[in-house]
Amino acid sequence: MAGPLALGLVLGLASLSFVMRATGALLPNLPPAITTRTSGLAPALLAALVAIQLTGANGLLHLDVKVPAVVVAAGLAALRAPFIVCVIAGAVVAALLRAVFHL
Amino acid sequence: MNGQRSVRVILLAPAPIALAVFVFGMSFGVLAVAARLPAWSIVLMSVLVFAGSAQFAALGVIAAGGSVLTAIFAGALLNLRFVATGIAVAPSLPGGRLLRSVLAQLSIDESYAMSARAGPPGRPDGRTLLVTGALLYSAWVIGTSIGALLGPVLGDPKRLGLDAAFPAGFVALLWPMLSGRHAVRCAIGGLLAALLLAPFTPPGIPLAGAAVIGLWLAR
Repeated sequence: MAGPLALGLVLGLASLSFVMRATGALLPNLPPAITTRTSGLAPALLAALVAIQLTGANGLLHLDVKVPAVVVAAGLAALRAPFIVCVIAGAVVAALLRAVFHL
Repeated sequence: MNGQRSVRVILLAPAPIALAVFVFGMSFGVLAVAARLPAWSIVLMSVLVFAGSAQFAALGVIAAGGSVLTAIFAGALLNLRFVATGIAVAPSLPGGRLLRSVLAQLSIDESYAMSARAGPPGRPDGRTLLVTGALLYSAWVIGTSIGALLGPVLGDPKRLGLDAAFPAGFVALLWPMLSGRHAVRCAIGGLLAALLLAPFTPPGIPLAGAAVIGLWLAR
C-alpha cells in the first residue's frame, strides 16, 4: 500500500478511536440507553467479519481452505486456547491443505 | 479497603495478560506486513490506535482487497464499545477534561476489566486502569514492532496460510465474547446480515448492516 494511503488509514482510525474513548471525559451525561446498546456491536461485527472473509469476490460463500481453518480455530477457542494458538492453527491448517491437495 | 494499591501489586496481576498482548501484537505486525502495509504505518497504527480487534478488523478488510474507507469504518465500529467503557472510567481519572480524555486512551478490554475488578461496583479503580493500561500499551507497541520486523523474513503469505489467519483470528476474538444470550443473538444476527447483504452490496455495506443488527439486538 502506498504511503499516503497507509497514513490516511492510520490517522482516520486513530482519530475516530480517540474521540470514542474521550467521549466519557468530554460528555459525562450521555444516557445509559445509548451506551448499553454498543455492547452488541463487537460480537455482531466480528461474526460478520468471519462471514465476509469466507465469501468470494461475488459475495457468495466460497468453500476453500479457509473454512476448515475457521472450524479448527473455533474449536480451539471453545477449548479456551490462547488467541495466538487459534490463529497459528488456522494458518497451519490452510497451509497444509494447500500443500497436500495443491488447492 | 480503599488504600492506594502499590504499583508493584498492580503490575504483577496483568503480567500474563501483557505477554498475551505482546504475542497478539507480534501476530498483528506479521500479518500487516503480509497485507503490504509499510512497516512505519504498522507501528504508528499500534501507537495511535491501541485496539487489537479494531486494528485486526481494518487489516482484514485491506488484506481482502477492500478500500481504506471500509477498513476505517470496520475498525471504528468495533471501537464504539469504548464509548461505554470511557464513560465508566471517566469519573475515576485524575485531572480536567483534557487530561482525562488523554488518559482514557489507555482503556482497552483487558485494562478496563482489571480496573473494574479492583474498584467497588460501578466505580473502576483509576490507578489500576492507568498502570495496567500503560503496561499493556508497551507490550502492544513493542510486540507490533517486532512482528513488523519479522514479517518480511517469513515469505509468501498465502503458502503459509496467513490469509486464513484473519477469519481464524476473528473467530478467536469473537468466542470469549459469546457469554450470555444477547451476545450470541447479536453474533448470529451479524453473521446472517453480512451473508445476506454480501452478494448484492458493495464492500462496507454488509458490515454496516451487521452493526445495525447488533445495536438493535443488544438489550
